[in-house]
Order: sequence, then C-alpha cells, then structure tokens
Amino acid sequence: MARLTRRSVLRGSAALGATALGTTQILGFPHVAKAAATTASVWFPQGFVQDEDVALRKAVGDYEKASGNKIELSITPFAPERQKIIAALTSGVVPDMMINNPAEILQIYGWQDRWVDVSDVVETQKALFSETALVSAQAYNNVTKKRGMYGVPLRAAVVPCHIWRPLVEKAGLKIEDIPKTWDAYFDFFKKVQDNLRKQGERKVYGLGFQVTANGVDPYNLFMAFLVAYGGQNIVTRDGKLHLDDPKVKQAAIKATAYIGGAYRDGYVPPSAINWNDADDNNAFHAKLMVMDVDGTLSTEVAVKEKYPEQYFKDMVTHGVPGYPNDNQGKPVPSIVGITQGMVPKGAKNVAVAKEFLRYFIQPKVIGEFVELGLGRWLPVMPSLAKSPFWQDPKDPHLRGYVQQGLLGPTIPDYYVFNLAMAEVRNQHVFSLAMIDVAKEGVKPEPAVDKAFKRIEEIFAKYKA
Amino acid sequence: MNGTSAVEVSRFALRRRALSRSFRGGLKGGEYTWALAFVVPYVAVFLAFVAYPVVYGLWMGSDASLYRELFADPIYQSSVVNTALYLALGVNVKMFLALLLSGFFMRPGWWMKVLLLIFVLPWAVPQISTFISIHWMLNGEWGFLNNVLYKLFHVEGPHWLNDRWTALGAVIVSHIWKWTPFWTLILLAGRMAIPLEIRDTARVDGATGLRGFVHITFPLLANLYLICTLLSTIFLLGDFNAVTFVSGGGPANQTHVLATLGIRDAFEIANPRLGVAAVMSALPMVIPLVIILMRKLRTAEVQV
Repeated sequence: MARLTRRSVLRGSAALGATALGTTQILGFPHVAKAAATTASVWFPQGFVQDEDVALRKAVGDYEKASGNKIELSITPFAPERQKIIAALTSGVVPDMMINNPAEILQIYGWQDRWVDVSDVVETQKALFSETALVSAQAYNNVTKKRGMYGVPLRAAVVPCHIWRPLVEKAGLKIEDIPKTWDAYFDFFKKVQDNLRKQGERKVYGLGFQVTANGVDPYNLFMAFLVAYGGQNIVTRDGKLHLDDPKVKQAAIKATAYIGGAYRDGYVPPSAINWNDADDNNAFHAKLMVMDVDGTLSTEVAVKEKYPEQYFKDMVTHGVPGYPNDNQGKPVPSIVGITQGMVPKGAKNVAVAKEFLRYFIQPKVIGEFVELGLGRWLPVMPSLAKSPFWQDPKDPHLRGYVQQGLLGPTIPDYYVFNLAMAEVRNQHVFSLAMIDVAKEGVKPEPAVDKAFKRIEEIFAKYKA
Repeated sequence: MNGTSAVEVSRFALRRRALSRSFRGGLKGGEYTWALAFVVPYVAVFLAFVAYPVVYGLWMGSDASLYRELFADPIYQSSVVNTALYLALGVNVKMFLALLLSGFFMRPGWWMKVLLLIFVLPWAVPQISTFISIHWMLNGEWGFLNNVLYKLFHVEGPHWLNDRWTALGAVIVSHIWKWTPFWTLILLAGRMAIPLEIRDTARVDGATGLRGFVHITFPLLANLYLICTLLSTIFLLGDFNAVTFVSGGGPANQTHVLATLGIRDAFEIANPRLGVAAVMSALPMVIPLVIILMRKLRTAEVQV
C-alpha cells in the first residue's frame, strides 16, 4: 500500500473534488451534456391531463426525427416548475428554452434584458398569429429602453364560465333561461341556489367565485368583472395607469361590490376565501357550486375520459355564445393569457432552441399540439379554429371556448403593457379588496381606495 | 556564526516545532496525514453546502432597498406577529407538554411501552401528507371535523381556516401535535439518565411527587430543557410546512410567517432577493439564539 503523505492526500482530495465536480456537472447540469451542437434542453410545465404531455412528447419526437437534433425535455408540475425557472434565472444555470410559467415571467425578466430576441422565429408565422398573441409576446426592456419580441406564442387560454346543468334543472330552471347581460347572468345563479336551498340542499352554492388571495384565479375573476363594468382602460397599451379615470374607479368599485357582496351574502362557498387554483376545480367537481368562472377547459377535460356523461351532457361551458354581455348588452372582451416559448440569455444552444421553436409554430404542428391535449388550451392562430376538432358539433364545449378566446373580442393581460401589473396580480391587491368587502364588512369604496393606493406604490417601482 | 546565535537558532527551531505541534493538535507524522484525509472531505462539503449558500444568501439580501420594500409590504408586519406567536406558543406549549408527558411515560408497565409507540406515530408519519389531511379535515363545508359536529350535535362548525386566528391556531396545534412526541422522547431519555441513586436518596429524604420534580428532576433536566427549547425555536423559525399545507398562508395572506413569506416573495412575486430579505430579517432573532445555544453547549456540563 502506498504511503499516505500530506501532499498525496491534498493531491487526492483535489482529484476527488474535480471528479465530483465533473460528476455533478454531468448529473445535475444539463447544459454540459448539450455541449454537442445538436442538443437543446427544453422545460415545459406538466399538463393538467396526461394527454397534454403526450401531445408535447409527440411534437418533440417529431421534431427530433425531422431534424436529427436531440431535445432534452423536462416536464415538471406547474408549481415546482415555476420555482425551478425562477431559481434557474437567478442562478444563471438556464435551459435552452422554457415556457413562461408564471406567465408574466416574460415581462419580468424581459425588463432585466434576460431573454434572447426571437423576432426572427415569430416572423416565420407572423401573419398567422392573433394580434393578442403577438402583443403578449413582447416586453419592455429596461436596459435597451425599448420593447422587444421575447416570446414565441404557443397556446392560449381564456376564462369561460362552467355550469352544472343538473343543478340548474334541479332548481326548476333551464340553461336557456340564463340571462345574457352581466349582473342578471350572475344573479340567475343566486336564484338557483335559493331554489336548491328550499329543496333542502344544505351545501350547494350558486357562484364559484375565487374570493381568495392565492394563485391566479382571483385576479382573472376580478379583471373579467372590471372589464365588464367598463374598466378596460385601467392600463392602456402605452403602459400608463389610469386609476384617476372615473370609469375605471367606478368599475373597480362595482366589481369589488358584486364579488365581495356575493360572498358576504352566502352565495359563494365560504372556503373560497382560502382556495388555491385547483380548489375551485375540485369544489366544482364535487358539485359544491352551480357555476365557476375559471380559466381554460381544465374542469371539463378532467372528466372527459372517466365520466363522459358529465362532459357531454351535464357540464355546460359558456364561452361565446353564453359568456354574458355587459349590462348595456355589448360583448365583453375576454382577457387572454398566452403561453410563450422563450430562450434565456446564457442558453448554450440558442440555434437549436430557435430551430425547435420555428418547427413547433408551424400551423400543422402547433394545431395538433393543442388538439391532442384535448383542447384544454387554445391555438394562437385564428385559422386553426376552423379545424374539424374545434368545430365538432358533437362537442358541447370547444366551439364556444375557441370563439371566446380566439375569434371573439380579446385583449392581452395588463402586465403585457406594464410589468407593474404582474406584481399587482401576484400581491393579490384586488383580492384583498374583495375580501375586505366579503368578510371584514368594509364598504367597496374604501376597499378600492386602499387597493388603488397600493397599486400606485407598486407602479412607482417600475418607472422606465 | 558565534555560540549565542547558534543557541538563538535552536531556540527558534524549538519554538517553531512547538507551534507546528500545537497546530497539528499533538498529532505526529502519519496520524496527522490521516486526520487531514478525514477532515478534507468534511471541509469541502461544509464549504460547498453550508458556507457558500449562507454567503450567497447574505449577498442576495444585502441591498438595503430590499428591506424598505419588505417593510412597505402590508403583509410583512402581520407575518412578523404571526412568527412571534408561532414561536412563543408553538415552542413553549409543545416543550411543556413534552416535559409532562416524559414524566408520564416513565411509569412502569408493558402497556406504557405500547402507548408510547402509538404516541410517537404523529412524529413518525410524513409531515406533508398529515398537514394536508388536517387542511382537509378543517374544511368548513365538507371537512371531517364539521361533519362530525353536524352528525353528532347538529351544529354547523366554524370555517376554521377562514379566520386569521383560528387558522393560525390550527397551524400551531398541528405543529404541536406533530412534534411533541419527538421532544417527549428526548426529555424521556434525559429523565432515564438521572441516576437511580439520586432519586432513591431524594425519596428517602421525602422528596417525592411534586417536590421530587421541583427539587430533583427539573433542576437536573433544566439544561437539557433549555437546549431543546432553543433548538426547537431555531428549527421552527425556518419551518414552512405547517403554514403552507394547513392554512396556505390564508385567509388573505393573514397567516404567513417569515419562512412562508420568503417563499411567496421569491417565487410568487418572482423576486428571490426580496424572499431572501424576508428570511434574513429573522436573523436578529436567530443569531442571539445560536450564540446562547453555543455557550450553553460549551460551558454547561451535561447534567443528566
């Protein structure tokens, strides 16, 4: 046995350290493995139903066959992926392509000049994308002091209404009886609840409003009401905030009053105040409430395979038609969230990542991707809405959903115009106003005043 | 070279050798090399997984403007209050119960061993799944607890997680339920280590029951109890499982503690530096605790 000396130990330790470092690089950091010019690492969030992941794997597999390149695909559940992405961007150890999860991450890190410009990729299909998708792909870069195209639109989502037909009918009413204007539409479900209570239904609520300060649902709900009440210009396309606009303030007060009031008056499940994004889906499936206002068709596609009767007969999706008009009878534009593919600066193989995205956004590929995922997500090209899948007369949900989110009047989310709105959303400023009214007995006006004060503070941080 | 300088040189050499020996901890030749071989991996792991993350964290949270932003967040103040309550009640109630229960489990009998086995189950089962179960049990509409209340007494139970104080109470009780068995076992081990002769002598002198506890058992356990309390406080400051999975920080972000606020700021607000600052703001409390703990461990003899 060789004699152990101090030098040999130190040399051995250094060698051991180097080996360990090499091993961790190989095992833990994909960017080393993709040193070959034909490999790119791609991060996607896991689908709500397995079909979404199958659709993604197929698209990736088809690309690999077509190009000869290799994609190291990482599919992670929604919430951990969000953390993984933020950790990656903070540490600088980034993949070659990722998805904007959370959605506003495109704008947050675009502000910090952390994305590779992908306008050349988008350009290949630019004429086919919806205007909302293209606008949502942009972000203000606070380093270059101009807006850039940092996202490649891949799929979209909108917020329709989901209704249990059997509960409406049990209350002695019909789906066809549901009014077409905003307040009357939601008041209808209060009547459904009242009728059901008279029949001894102890735990069924009319409205599945997410009066909570968790997740993205409460913001989506509030913004749908704000837009319906005329507050669409809270932030204009130039990024300016308009809290001093009386129409915006009035709309915010009405939205806060209606949602908070519905909770206070007992038309919303009490536990809604502590829901996360999945809880309203679960509560809806448990028939705790008659209707839910929730993004995507996740509620419906979750039961399609196991309970086809629920999908085809019992559940009603109110996209367009069905989604209520404003109180004057005019259509209400829907806020559309766009999933974007992005290439972070520091990516080792930008060329393959861009080539993969160019392949992915070909109409045939991107169209098949959303269709194989059961249509939970919408396509981002209006021409794709005409496919037999989306126009299937036997499917009770898809046509209305695609009409609402792709063909009807749509607007991008407000953080696209000003990044500060992302923080307003994530700090749940409007949720707190709704909860103040719902639970703390605060009047809508002071609740909105408090919210507006906080919004102004947040916007002050994002002066370009 | 004259004689004086030769003496000086040899003195210098002796001093150097003594210093070197002292540096080597009295180890010689191969012993020292082996010691080095065992220490180097530990030092490497310590640097990589302890020193680096701590320094990186300090660097991330070093910007004063982060703290201005943090203090301006309305949720921060309530999170500080929640953290204080969580620590004060969670640690002290748990440790006091553990102290009492450790005495109870000193009783002889085979059934006591069976009872102890059942008692430690909450600690043995995975905490996340149990906290999620508690969250569901407390659901106001369809939760187990309110259903039992309704079935047995036709009483509509409160919505436990809809009110700040009941939700925070649920978090604290869940923590106590989960961790009391662990600390009971530690204190039980401490009690068992008290020499039988001391207890017998005390008993002969009339120190039985409460007097025996006050004058014999507790003084001998005091150091262990204090160290356990300090350790538990440090553990609890960094704990976010109970809050995240029992109350979710709700309602309306009213039950966040600093650890969960840090996670929220880092990943929901997508501002990791602010998240680090939220956790760093607990340092003024952590550092004195660690110093007291270290002093206690260094100076106090184990009394049990």
